[in-house]
Amino acid sequence: MHSPELLKGTLQTILLKVLKDHGKMYGYEITQRVKELSDGRILLTEGALYPSLHKLEAEGLLKTETVMMGKRVRKYYALTTEGKSLVKERVSEFVEFIRTMGNVLKVDLA
Amino acid sequence: MLTEDHISYIIKDLNYRGIVAEGIQEELIDHICSAVETEMTSGVRFIDAYHKILKSFGHTSGLRETQKQTIQSENSKPRNMLKNYFTVAIRNLRKHSFYSFINVAGLSIGLAICMIIVLFVINEISYDKHFANADRIYRIKSEIKFGGNHYNMLYAPPVMANTLATEYPEVEAAIRFRERGSYLVKRTIDNIKEDHVIWTDKDFFKVFSIPVIAGNAETALAEPNAIAISETIAHKYFANENALGQTLILDNKWNMKITAIYKPIPANTHFHFDILIALEGLEEAKREVWYSNNFQTYLLLRPGADAKQLESKFPELVAKRAMPQLAEVLGGDLTMEKFNAAGNKMEFTLQPLSDIHLKSSLQGEFEPNFDIAYVYLFVAIALFILIIACINFMNLSTARSANRAKEVGIRKVMGSFRSHLMRQFLTESILLTFISILLAVLFAYLLLPFFNQLSLRTLFIPFQQPMLYGIIILVALAVGLLAGIYPAFFLSAFKPVSVLKGHVALGMKSGFIRSALVVFQFTVSIFLVIGTLAVNRQLNYIQNKKLGFNKDQVIVIEDAYALGTNRVPFKEEIMRSGKMENATMTGFLPVSGSWRSDNPWWVEGRDPAVQENMVSIQNWRVDHDYVKTMGMNIKEGRDFSREFPSDSSAVIINEASVKRFNFSGEVIGSKIATFGDSGNGEPDRNKLITLTVIGIVENFHFESLKENVSPLMIELNEKSEGPISFRFQSQNTQEVIQLVEAKWKELAPGQPFTYYFLDQRFGSMYASETRLGKIFGIFSVLAVLIACLGLFALTAFTAEQRMKEIGIRKVLGASISSIVMLLSKELGKLVLIAFVLATPLAWYGIDWWLKDYTYKTEIGVGLYIFAGAAAFLIAWVTMSFQSFKAASSDPVKSLRSE
Repeated sequence: MHSPELLKGTLQTILLKVLKDHGKMYGYEITQRVKELSDGRILLTEGALYPSLHKLEAEGLLKTETVMMGKRVRKYYALTTEGKSLVKERVSEFVEFIRTMGNVLKVDLA
Repeated sequence: MLTEDHISYIIKDLNYRGIVAEGIQEELIDHICSAVETEMTSGVRFIDAYHKILKSFGHTSGLRETQKQTIQSENSKPRNMLKNYFTVAIRNLRKHSFYSFINVAGLSIGLAICMIIVLFVINEISYDKHFANADRIYRIKSEIKFGGNHYNMLYAPPVMANTLATEYPEVEAAIRFRERGSYLVKRTIDNIKEDHVIWTDKDFFKVFSIPVIAGNAETALAEPNAIAISETIAHKYFANENALGQTLILDNKWNMKITAIYKPIPANTHFHFDILIALEGLEEAKREVWYSNNFQTYLLLRPGADAKQLESKFPELVAKRAMPQLAEVLGGDLTMEKFNAAGNKMEFTLQPLSDIHLKSSLQGEFEPNFDIAYVYLFVAIALFILIIACINFMNLSTARSANRAKEVGIRKVMGSFRSHLMRQFLTESILLTFISILLAVLFAYLLLPFFNQLSLRTLFIPFQQPMLYGIIILVALAVGLLAGIYPAFFLSAFKPVSVLKGHVALGMKSGFIRSALVVFQFTVSIFLVIGTLAVNRQLNYIQNKKLGFNKDQVIVIEDAYALGTNRVPFKEEIMRSGKMENATMTGFLPVSGSWRSDNPWWVEGRDPAVQENMVSIQNWRVDHDYVKTMGMNIKEGRDFSREFPSDSSAVIINEASVKRFNFSGEVIGSKIATFGDSGNGEPDRNKLITLTVIGIVENFHFESLKENVSPLMIELNEKSEGPISFRFQSQNTQEVIQLVEAKWKELAPGQPFTYYFLDQRFGSMYASETRLGKIFGIFSVLAVLIACLGLFALTAFTAEQRMKEIGIRKVLGASISSIVMLLSKELGKLVLIAFVLATPLAWYGIDWWLKDYTYKTEIGVGLYIFAGAAAFLIAWVTMSFQSFKAASSDPVKSLRSE
């Protein structure tokens, strides 16, 4: 399992990319999807997930949709147009970062 | 799958754990439900699964942390935060619109005054700085002490400029000015009177960088009979023509060729000449004398030259050049040492150009200057008024804190930090100052024309300068902080527990600082009121003082020389109308700005070489009717009379001269003497003139009352070219003017008719003081007004706070007057303290101002008491309006609900 410290800066990128690839999702679903994609090595804590989601929403990158399920209410998150256009940029930015880290740490990432 | 009961359990449990925030609560419930469901698919019991999930969240504290961070991340954008402060601020201001109005009104008036004063001060300190060589230009000041007279003036000997320019390497150029009053100017037929005419040397444009738009600046003034004129004059006389090379006729006799046209001299310059006449053409300017001072002299030093060093060489120059000449004139072997030893002085110093407008008030100034002390005074007043306005804000905010205490308590309980609250309060005050400053700009814009008229300036708000807007924003922030910081600290410091329990009772009694601030406001206000009253009393005193002559009912016809040979017929024909009592023809009038001339005289028989015998005395040449027309009193002896032909060698002296001459025997009949004129303006030691004293005239004031009456003598000279003064009986001045004007037009066609009344000219000697008095008056009225606005609101507030108390008192039988008394007592006390503080300050200030005057009015205790009573009364009326309203309200209304 990766340390949460390492995840901190990448959380937003992960959320945006996952939402881009899978369309609308709710909070728990996102944690499960990320866990699956990372073979259980990335576990999003709720304490980090929800603040991030709400922040992205406040910034206008995500939109939400609530669905009533009996007593429960489910809130789905999806990318806004603005959010969509940002995903690619964020991902390539991150790839660039990894490449730089590779150089700094003198390891071959290929 | 989860059952309904399970879900209800989770919802309840989470609620119990404090997960209540809208937006996050439902989401967390769903999340936990989903997680529990997943967990249960592997056969775990609901309650175990739930606890496992809770553990992964970090139990209650973890859940709450998640909730808190989510809320914070939503609101982390500063824009949202500011928007919230802003919304709350606007709501608050609107809710208390009465107090907001008082604050805005006070602040905007205060700021408008500040703005005007700042513009004024900036203008004052910008004088003469626009000249390219401003820092290298100096002016010669001379101090002459001789024959009992003491002059501090700007006049230097005619040769001085040239001597300095040619013999002293520090001096790059030197120019002189010679004033000879106003001129009648014409192109062909009709004369126009021009006031700003001066004779000057050819290097004028070299010293003063005034752009020349036509003609050659270097040579324009090198020839006699050449003039340079300003663009304004060029337009006036040659509307659509090229004025260069054309001719203007001055005083009906001199044809002057226009050799240069220059841009109008900027308003913030210590002179505003419209016509420059080449000094080359003036014989007087070529005299090589050191003992006559008539020329204002300016020097342009070379870059890097030291003015102090140059100045230190002047005494040597005086000893080498001036003393030998003086010795020749006075006889005897005069040396510098002997001259100085006899208590005399002849000293030249340099005055930098930048000191002229604010630090100079000497004989020979081209225009009246301003005084740096008044600049400081104005700045102080501006600051005081602003502070008074800020204090209103502080006092109202803190006084009303009781009302906001609950708000503060609840905000704090809800998790507000102190810094948040302070920001909230500061936002309110800054918003308020912003509104005020915008209004202030509007006020200042509307008031400026009025102020300009009063201060004789042409100030304007530089709307096109981006700096202005920067400054406005800065000032709004600064004043907002100044006014808001104290309430912000004060209010945000409340402890929520005590506030919500109702322990903070903040009525009028609690605020020591508030009382101090009110005292300060009223101290300043009362100080200004006393100052204004004192200034006006002194001005009144001067205007009505017994002057030794009668300034009323005298009309003076200027430029009578334009009548030519018709002078005497003009006077006689007007006298024949029977409307006039007396008439006199002379320029020597007892108001400043008239002709003056002084010479050394001595009692006949005494040795003129002995310094003590010489009396420097005003020597006025007038006609037979002068004393009668001016309404002067002969104390001893008699007036000039046509029945005594010998009066052509007679003289009347004033009481001051009697004292100075120190006659040995009977004054009447004594003789006084002086050297005659050799024909070229220089005294001839072989030609003695003696006059017999026939009368003593009571001392009369002929200069500003700031000065003592100096020795003066009047002798006969019927050939005067000066103005003609008529003493009239009629109360109808319009009729008098019409009569004189009609005659003038008949006898002097095409010449401008200009006149003044002696009392008006007398009044204008104190014009700057009168203006100061008015400006002061306006400021003090505004200061009092703003202070009273604050008082008004404070009383309103107290009355509101004590509504129930008043109701109960009334039910128990209190009278309206006793309640009004109760409400205004505390504030009244403060005003009284302010009066006690302001009195000594005002006394000191008035004393300082009056020290310039030789003749000063008595500022009695009455004035202080009057000012104090007035301030108290105004404050009282302000307060009782609100108190009365509160006291006369029906107690049923205030007591019904509870």
